[in-house]
Amino acid sequence: MGLAPLLALALLCAAVPGAADPLKPDSLKPVSLKPWTSDQIPPLALDRLDGPPVDLATLRGQPVVVHFFATWCAPCIEEMASLDAFAASAGAPVVLAVNVGEVEARLRTFFRTRPVAFPILLDRDRATMKAWKVEGLPASFVLDRELRPALKTEEPLDWTSPAVTNALAALSPQAASPVQPMRDKGETPR
Amino acid sequence: MISRRDMLKTGAAAAAALSAPRLAFAQEAPFAPKPGPWRDFAVTTRLDLTASGKAQAWIPLPSVREEEWIKTGKNDWKTNATLAEVVRDPKYGAELLHVAFKEGEVAPYVEVRSSFALRDRAEDLAAKGIVPALGDADRKLYLEATELMPTDGIVKETAEKAAAGKTSDIDKARAIYEWVVANTFRDAKTRGCGTGDVASMLRTGNLGGKCADLNALYVALVRSAGIPARDIYGLRVAPSKFGYKSLGAGSEVVTKAQHCRAEVWLDGYGWVATDPADVRKVVLEEPPGNNTVDNPKVVAARQVLFGAWEGNWLGYNVAHDVVLPGSKHKVGFLMYPQAEVAGALLDCLDPDTFKYSIKSAEITA
Repeated sequence: MGLAPLLALALLCAAVPGAADPLKPDSLKPVSLKPWTSDQIPPLALDRLDGPPVDLATLRGQPVVVHFFATWCAPCIEEMASLDAFAASAGAPVVLAVNVGEVEARLRTFFRTRPVAFPILLDRDRATMKAWKVEGLPASFVLDRELRPALKTEEPLDWTSPAVTNALAALSPQAASPVQPMRDKGETPR
Repeated sequence: MISRRDMLKTGAAAAAALSAPRLAFAQEAPFAPKPGPWRDFAVTTRLDLTASGKAQAWIPLPSVREEEWIKTGKNDWKTNATLAEVVRDPKYGAELLHVAFKEGEVAPYVEVRSSFALRDRAEDLAAKGIVPALGDADRKLYLEATELMPTDGIVKETAEKAAAGKTSDIDKARAIYEWVVANTFRDAKTRGCGTGDVASMLRTGNLGGKCADLNALYVALVRSAGIPARDIYGLRVAPSKFGYKSLGAGSEVVTKAQHCRAEVWLDGYGWVATDPADVRKVVLEEPPGNNTVDNPKVVAARQVLFGAWEGNWLGYNVAHDVVLPGSKHKVGFLMYPQAEVAGALLDCLDPDTFKYSIKSAEITA
């Protein structure tokens, strides 16, 4: 083989548009939640993995995190442990983890070895993801006690980081105050 | 996980290789698929369900009708199902065998044998020919977004970056192919062939995955550039005759040998074979593994897999978002057998809960 193909390859590698973009995180980046404004919150009423259905509207009075994820999504998996620790911490908002389009049998297998402290909701036909205008996974939305839009992110977060804690504390004093969160311990497969 | 820095390192390695002698691969058969004799194959798929409730199953059948490289043959089956019917997806023409078992069937099973013939593909991209134009309906179909492959937003923006400065369809399609090869990676941890959620891949920057991810990304990017393209979901059925261990079936058992490829429509050429995901497979898996992009086998695969592929792979169909007949469930693509028991879809990637096997045999008279 001559040098020409290698030269072309090397030049091509150098010239690929976007090749130097910071497209892929090596791990969770130090990002935080951003303000989220929306005229209205889309409905969210879904079946729950091995539990009764959940309707967001019934959770008024508590801050809520709505988190969209899938088990094939590597950043989602990276994020899951910190989200679980966050959900289990005192005074944390209710966390609703919405799985997008996966088979329940696969979810049971996944969470059997990675138990979590929040309910797994099933967006089987992706309709909820679309209604919430989620364009990529993971994505998380924070609603205040009145279920009004407050914060969001379309990137994986370290939910135990000071940046996230501060963002939630700044949301409202109530957001960080003790509430009786919705827990799924002993119900969601662990 | 391979990082962007690693990818850039491999790019730098390619430049450094300019001064390195490259002899080893020249001594082996060149990777040069070209249309030749047809090879006859039969694939046998068997499902054994453990039913605790009403069960049904769906098995993909070879249904790509492209006489240049694949000829479909008979499908035969045996089963204790009460219903067994071939169903054709109305949108894409994907065919499947749908079987339904009576409630209380102790050991539901179905075994399907599909015969077909394959040969290599290779397009002479230097010589434009006279090819009938793609029909309006097909052009529309193979330009449209699917559930997991949007063609606007970040997908379109990425395609515009990847094909910047290119004016012809062939140059755009090749530039996007090179972008996918250079910017993605095969992730060994991805289950099955991946999912193909293109927008999530681009938005998170996590460009790792397997064929259903990387080739879906290619197809979505090409479609967003206004060029018809499609994924073909299928199965590797024989070893590579060019010595690529990573690009062929390792044995007659091909239960986990699913693979999808891609095609792009280029006026004057017709449907052109591509497979950027297999370039990344050679990078990761071709012995000794974790090869740099200047590895001669990688270089050869990268040059060949825009315009050609080897006829050791069965294409089942080009369908997306397939509603399983008789079920409420829908799958993003139909490449694996599917089954449900008591209304719950089984995990086609989990052999512990869904037992099936697929065997391939070359039929030599």
